[in-house]
Amino acid sequence: MAEQGENMNKSDSTSEPNQDELILAQQRQIEKEISDSIPLVGDKELITSLNNEYSADNIYLEKVRDLATKYKFIRRTRPDGNCFFRAFSYANIERLLGKPDEFEAFYKVAENSKDGLVKLGFQQLTVDDFYDTYMEVLKRLKNIENLSEAYKELHSVFNEQGFSDYMVVYLRLLTSGQLQKEHDFYSCFIEGDRTVADFCHQEVEPMYKESDHIHIIAACAALQTGVKVIYMDRGIGKACTEHDLPEGTSPTVHLLYRPGHYDILYQ
Amino acid sequence: MSTPARRRLMRDFKRLQEDPPTGVSGAPSDNNIMIWNAVIFGPHDTPFEDGTFKLTIEFTEEYPNKPPTVRFVSHMFHPNVYADGGICLDILQNRWSPTYDVSAILTSIQSLLSDPNPNSPANSMAAQLYKENRREYEKRVKACVEQSFID
Repeated sequence: MAEQGENMNKSDSTSEPNQDELILAQQRQIEKEISDSIPLVGDKELITSLNNEYSADNIYLEKVRDLATKYKFIRRTRPDGNCFFRAFSYANIERLLGKPDEFEAFYKVAENSKDGLVKLGFQQLTVDDFYDTYMEVLKRLKNIENLSEAYKELHSVFNEQGFSDYMVVYLRLLTSGQLQKEHDFYSCFIEGDRTVADFCHQEVEPMYKESDHIHIIAACAALQTGVKVIYMDRGIGKACTEHDLPEGTSPTVHLLYRPGHYDILYQ
Repeated sequence: MSTPARRRLMRDFKRLQEDPPTGVSGAPSDNNIMIWNAVIFGPHDTPFEDGTFKLTIEFTEEYPNKPPTVRFVSHMFHPNVYADGGICLDILQNRWSPTYDVSAILTSIQSLLSDPNPNSPANSMAAQLYKENRREYEKRVKACVEQSFID
């Protein structure tokens, strides 16, 4: 359309539009629309609030009905590619509040986790940065005696972009570390001829990269916490499919998976 | 209180000073830690040898969760550098990881100078010459090297 304007090529024959920046600008615009409308971690809502999303969709409505027999509440997370890590991290800490012994045990695991990463070749400087913030948040929450204050603080920390994202990054690093430590086992699940380390650099460590089964299993192993994932999609049947990850563990965190997204569930 | 991004940039700067990689340097601008100036020296045994190429690095508060915007200020002739100095490099876009720091960014760009990727060109002329007429490519690069002394 605006051909005339574009004929004013500057410098030399080499001036092509910087496509990367155009794409990035568009991505940022989309991200902004999402972040303006959906909090990083939302409030607890009644499970039946899901009905509003599917008012004219009988397959889903049927499944929400089934879900409502097992779960009372849902907590939505922002669909930004980090939802699994954010949801898992939040729900895991939340279940530890008010259980000082279990929290202490988890704190110890977290405290010792950095050395393992550095041993695997992660750069000390960058790991330190995330680790320090991660531990700072855990420590702060651990020391709050009033339970409702602690819940409130957890919610506010996870909605503060700087802290919330650092919690996500550190869990991504721990997940990557777990995959690399057990690379013989995990390499069978990686498609193509990528090594486990390549996979981690490309699909696990970068922010906004969505999580697959393999991320979840490794994240669970890293935090020594089991997850139940309830799959809700347009598949046949009236009930949602359930998976306990890793298999055979008793889950303490419950997540709802709808294609491309994870939210937290409460019984 | 200092933000995570600013705190992290102080760490990056400290590391760059204490453990500087060969052939690159960088520092925050005088009055703003979110904008850095950097220099990459052309790698040996490449047509970029002897060049001193200036760049700017602009960070947002989302760093290190999002990559900074890196741009050559010096005029470049390279298959993966746009006319405006923007750089087409995977780790600065979709393969960015929060574990990279300024030091890693600069050394990656340095190795991009040695090993261009003509298959994802930002400058199609440079990419074509690089593939089909290496002599002419090197001549054009040398011209940039000489210009980099004056800039």
